[in-house]
Amino acid sequence: MCILAFFIYAGLAIYEFVPLYKEKRWGDFAANAVLWTISLTIVMLLCFNVDLPSPQIPIQKLISSILGKQA
Amino acid sequence: MRKEYITDKEAICIIIIFTIGSTLILGIGGEAKNDRWISGIIGLVLALPVILVYARIQTIFQGQDLFDICILLMGKIGGRIIGGIYVWYAFHLGAMVIRNFGEFVNVVVMPETPMFILMLTIGLVAILTVRSGVEVIGRICAYLLPILFFIIIVVQLLAIPEMRFNHIKPVLSNSFSVIAEGAYSTFSFPFAESVVFLGVLYSLKTKKSAYRAYYYGVLLAGLIIITITIRNIAVLGPLGTSLYFPSHVAVSRISVGEFLQRIEVTVAFVFAVAALIKISICLFVAAKGISKICNLYDYRSIVIQLGLIMTYFAQFIYKDIMKMVEWAFKTYPYYAFPFQVVLPMVIWIISEIKKNKLTSQKQVTGSKG
Repeated sequence: MCILAFFIYAGLAIYEFVPLYKEKRWGDFAANAVLWTISLTIVMLLCFNVDLPSPQIPIQKLISSILGKQA
Repeated sequence: MRKEYITDKEAICIIIIFTIGSTLILGIGGEAKNDRWISGIIGLVLALPVILVYARIQTIFQGQDLFDICILLMGKIGGRIIGGIYVWYAFHLGAMVIRNFGEFVNVVVMPETPMFILMLTIGLVAILTVRSGVEVIGRICAYLLPILFFIIIVVQLLAIPEMRFNHIKPVLSNSFSVIAEGAYSTFSFPFAESVVFLGVLYSLKTKKSAYRAYYYGVLLAGLIIITITIRNIAVLGPLGTSLYFPSHVAVSRISVGEFLQRIEVTVAFVFAVAALIKISICLFVAAKGISKICNLYDYRSIVIQLGLIMTYFAQFIYKDIMKMVEWAFKTYPYYAFPFQVVLPMVIWIISEIKKNKLTSQKQVTGSKG
């Protein structure tokens, strides 16, 4: 599964990065590269069944502490 | 990059479909039981002044999106911070809708299929839709809305024999605080979620269009949602509050002459279309926001990766369906308040103060040019 994901991401990199590089749109290239890296990291973690933390829990705790009741 | 335009009619269609989005299956009104429809009406009335503010902001800065407006009003750094907050809101909202879709299909239609596959499917379709641009989203909505209206009306008529209007009685049996909480929940989910459209309606052609689009869109969507809520209460009675997907169960009760049965698939169809549009709009706004904050040439270059991250995010956002419903009705209204009310109010006040200065600056630049 990880290998499949890796190959899909390699394909996506070629599909997206090459035109941006040719057109010399460096801002778009950099933003895309950052998002590609984040995306690949998350999908790899999901493939390895890593339990990723949900942002909902701290948000819920924050709201509960502000309102002073179970939100 | 070519500027995209949508007509008023298309904008109204997008807002209607966006607003009925996940509300259609999750329902409205929280804990208000048989008074959920009253909560719905109060929520809609509460949303009207807020929507007036959204429309006013869009009218003052016609042709500019939320992120341009923030940068214009609050400077490069402040504007980018506020823009970043709205990118997060649109991204988070999109992920929540993807998860709603995944849970619904997984629970109701395809229990054997991994939920991630279902979410990835709609995520990929949304990516393709957003890459096609807002004009295509507008045209899709203009074509699909009559079909959705037809389905909703026919299902509503077929459900009449199953309705027991004594389920609605006693009216106002719940305490005022419960109804008010339900109204507030309805205000934030779905009506005030239309704040996201500040990132879309820059593509309208005239100044008055924003008012028309917001008011017709939200009012018609509100009418549909309240009608569906009344139907659900009348068909399901007290059972309705304990169900995760009340509309689906209510429609599954329809049986005409024992040959017209199992028409709950229509609910799934309407929801799939509405969820797709809602996810697409959220993804569009998030991508547009990032492109404005990072000063990119075109938002399309980041749509694929952003859409994929949104889908992955939907995978670990909730632990299970119980947490999803709890979040939607108990936490979300408070979480969304700053995005839906506080920040738009601040933006509106600053824009009213700075409006004249910005207009005169524009005229000076225009006359020099």
